[in-house]
Amino acid sequence: MKTKMIWAAVPVAFLFGCGASFPVPTQHMADAESAHRSALELGAASQPVAQLHVKLAEEQMAKAKTLITDGDNKGADSLLIRSKADSELALALTREQGSNVEVQKATDQSNTTAVTNAAQGAVK
Amino acid sequence: MRNVVACGLLFAFAGCATATVPQDLVTARTAYDRASHGPAAQLDPADLHLAKETLDTAEKSFVDNGDTQDTRDFAYTAERRTEIAESRARTVQSDQQKNGVIAQMNANQTATVRDTSAALGRANLQIASQGQALQNETQRRQDADKRAAQAQADLARIGTVKQEARGMVITLSGSVLFASAKADLLPDAQIKLNDVAKALAEQDPDSKIVVEGHTDSQGAAAFNQDLSQRRAESVRSYLASHGIASDRMTAQGFGPTRSIADNASAEGRANNRRVEIVVQPATAK
Repeated sequence: MKTKMIWAAVPVAFLFGCGASFPVPTQHMADAESAHRSALELGAASQPVAQLHVKLAEEQMAKAKTLITDGDNKGADSLLIRSKADSELALALTREQGSNVEVQKATDQSNTTAVTNAAQGAVK
Repeated sequence: MRNVVACGLLFAFAGCATATVPQDLVTARTAYDRASHGPAAQLDPADLHLAKETLDTAEKSFVDNGDTQDTRDFAYTAERRTEIAESRARTVQSDQQKNGVIAQMNANQTATVRDTSAALGRANLQIASQGQALQNETQRRQDADKRAAQAQADLARIGTVKQEARGMVITLSGSVLFASAKADLLPDAQIKLNDVAKALAEQDPDSKIVVEGHTDSQGAAAFNQDLSQRRAESVRSYLASHGIASDRMTAQGFGPTRSIADNASAEGRANNRRVEIVVQPATAK
């Protein structure tokens, strides 16, 4: 009987011990918020290809804060890692979109220049 | 008691071995496989390597601990990092494309400027050449006009010069050129004809010259006709031997048929005995 009680207490103690010892994920919270800010500053919220990831990052951050309040630091940390990854992806997609726009601008400028040159009688 | 522990370990081991792979890990594996065979492998190997390390961590977590939250988090992060590597690779491609377009545009512009400048240079040279040619032609005409005016003034000292519908008519007195009833030029006549030849040489080289012989009405008409013809031929030959092209000149005798004065008086007959050199402008041919 005594032995059975010991085996039953082990997982409970393990779970309790893990939850209690996991620190508040302050650094991961700061990393997630920083990544989110960078994405917003680059305009990710208004880029269709990046909007979903901005939204996911925001939801994950909000939920992480709730979990921290509830004492679930481990769960919060998990969400913050995901949030940061989504913000970074949103940032990359926004930069990619900006680069595509630059290509189009350069192509348009090249075509316009060619037309202008021809109209002004430049020798080809 | 020993049996209980053994069963528990067996159960736990069997559970790991048959645990379902979490969807996050499946997705991460698929994403990484796609990216490692795409442009990210060459264009963004650093981010792709980071994604691989994260995926490896997720795999290890799954092997060691099964479908845990950590495993899913690592897998989720691995997938996102893979997508970041792919996105950055596409960005590099776009940048390269943009740089290529700009480089091509600049090259085209440079070539256009070079070719246009060359064409402009050629046009300027042509304009300058035409301007010089025009200036030369203007100068040539001015010189020709000047020489013609001078020649005309010189001729006026030798004989009578008139502008008529048929051209410029230089009238030389027959008594100055020939002895009576003769067609041989007198020595003084040759001096005058030298000046005439010089003056005619200054005229338009395309103009035609008609040397006309005229007599008074005294004597037989046939003789006068023949004499006027020979005198005209004599002057024409002399001019031809002094630089006037033969094919520009014709000689014709009119005898007394084209009198310009009254043959009843000595003065009138003297005026009728004459040689007229008609310079016909090229347009009047």
